[in-house]
Amino acid sequence: MSRFGPTVVQAFEVAAGELGMCSAAWLFVREVAREGSDELVAELRDLLGRSFPVLDAVAATWLAGARAPVVDSDRVLQACAGASQVVIVGAETLFLDDLLPRMGTTRAALVTHGTFAVDWDRVVANYPGYLDPVDLSSFQRLAGRRSVLLTFVYGTQGESTWVDPTWLRIMGPDVRTQFRSIVGWDVLGGAPYLYPRWVVEASLADFSEVIRA
Amino acid sequence: MSSTTLLLPAILIVTVAAQALLPAYRLLCVSAGAAAACLVSAAFGVGTTRQILADVPWDVIVLLIGLGFVTEIFAATRVFGVLAARISRWSRGEPRLILVMFSVAMYLVSALVNNLTALLLVLPILLILLKLLGVSQRYVSWTLGSLLVACNLGGAATPIGDFPAILLLGRGVMTFSDYLVAAAPPTLVALAALLLFVHFRVRPERGLPREPVATRLSLAVMDRLHRGVRIDLKLFVPAAVCLVGMLVAWVTVPASSGVGPELICWLGVGAALMVMPRIGERIVRTKVDVEAVLFLVALFTMVAAVKRSGVFEAVANGLTSLAVPPTVQLVLFLFLAGALTGLFSAGPSMAALLEVAQALAVHLPPTAVYVGLALSVCAGSSLFLTAATSGPMAQMLTERADLRDANGKPLRFGFFHFVPVGVVAFAIIQGIGIAYALLLVGVGELSG
Repeated sequence: MSRFGPTVVQAFEVAAGELGMCSAAWLFVREVAREGSDELVAELRDLLGRSFPVLDAVAATWLAGARAPVVDSDRVLQACAGASQVVIVGAETLFLDDLLPRMGTTRAALVTHGTFAVDWDRVVANYPGYLDPVDLSSFQRLAGRRSVLLTFVYGTQGESTWVDPTWLRIMGPDVRTQFRSIVGWDVLGGAPYLYPRWVVEASLADFSEVIRA
Repeated sequence: MSSTTLLLPAILIVTVAAQALLPAYRLLCVSAGAAAACLVSAAFGVGTTRQILADVPWDVIVLLIGLGFVTEIFAATRVFGVLAARISRWSRGEPRLILVMFSVAMYLVSALVNNLTALLLVLPILLILLKLLGVSQRYVSWTLGSLLVACNLGGAATPIGDFPAILLLGRGVMTFSDYLVAAAPPTLVALAALLLFVHFRVRPERGLPREPVATRLSLAVMDRLHRGVRIDLKLFVPAAVCLVGMLVAWVTVPASSGVGPELICWLGVGAALMVMPRIGERIVRTKVDVEAVLFLVALFTMVAAVKRSGVFEAVANGLTSLAVPPTVQLVLFLFLAGALTGLFSAGPSMAALLEVAQALAVHLPPTAVYVGLALSVCAGSSLFLTAATSGPMAQMLTERADLRDANGKPLRFGFFHFVPVGVVAFAIIQGIGIAYALLLVGVGELSG
């Protein structure tokens, strides 16, 4: 009998939808380790890893000794230097919590579209004064010579990377020319070990710069 | 009996039944009914449309719109979401505490603001908590059912909580403080009785899987989801100051001053909106519940036409001339009010029955009649999921939340899931309402 209860999958889906897949995975792994031990983290990985490869990767990182994600917002700030607007695709809250308060006068907007059912009002309300919502149909109004498009990537391998599926609805030849730069922020490090379900493959060539973990 | 004394009540009854049977067309039903009532009144010389519209209690409409704005201001402050998140944390993921704490919180909130908006903001957070914890159909039915009944009781506890009480205040049949003192205690007793019954007899949490890891994860996720959500104090403070000011004025300003509760509401809400002009203007432009206003205006129009025909007076005379003691007449009236509300919902029942209640209040202590009526309407509102507007909304939000039990089976909150809760709540509230009204009659006789 699993110690996680029968509804842990839907609990992770709730968390992943609103916190971001990687941030939710770190939360689950940390809380499970606090409740039990690394043995319980391994059990969580066995239970959910195949369904959620990002969680599998994070659990593997934890079991290898890491206790927190590498959040290097300095390099993201450098990549966005001089921009007046950053449009963010996908919400990885552990990373946004660190980045947004440090952005100074640069405005940030989050594209409110995702794979899971998400209360976007609440996501944005967690960053009072730092983040505005923008929907999929109107994000291009924020494009311009001083605008940066930022998304989170889940590992890289060769010329490929993995991104939130929303990215494929955003990115295109027209969009590439409308923004000053397209920045990817790698929140995972290495490529996912398992087939990367919930994220999709994209070309690294789409990005002006990828900040690697 | 004249044609009009049959025709006008028939229009009212058919319209109220039609809107209950065809909720998707309820505005069309009541608008058509109101127009028909005006036509019949004009044709049979009961009154012109101008005269009938002059009988509509516009002060009640002002109160409803004003109090709706108060709720919207508080919604903009995020206070309801923060409250729900705090309760989730305080409950420690304990299913019994979740049921009790959310019910008590919704009772208190509904006593002060429109429970529909509050529920719209609180329920999604509760549903996320239930989704994270993993619950059963039985638990969902009793928890959400208790929450809805608590909303109804909170709405009946104060003169500004819900439409029936607002109508009593607006029509001037009871003062703010008289209603509050008389109605709050029995609603509190009814809530306690319901929660005790659910806690000790129903025990909906029985059989739920209780894994410490799952509870820990659920609470950690809830904390993270609301980690930076704060009450907007720039909005909250002026709104709270204005609400407190309105409460003080309602209690202290005498009716003889000419400043009625509707004007106090108008001035108080106006002041609150002026303090935050940008948001205030947006609220005034976009947040008037046009559907509710049109529905009530149409209802009041029909009721005014029926009243002019003298039917309510005849019904009241019939009731008071029954060869039974006045207390039995009161009990019959209150039970009928509860049952009719269950079938036709609170708005239509209260609007029509208040006219009869006013005749009963001539022979019986008015407080006993009016508070008994408010409690009976509250009992009826709690009988079926469709009897109160918050029921279908809770049903829709639960569908949208896509809750599932341990076996992956979808969890629902529909009409039949609510029936056991509704029957228990109806019995408790109606019983307490009748007993309390009789107690007030007894006290009135002793002191008189």
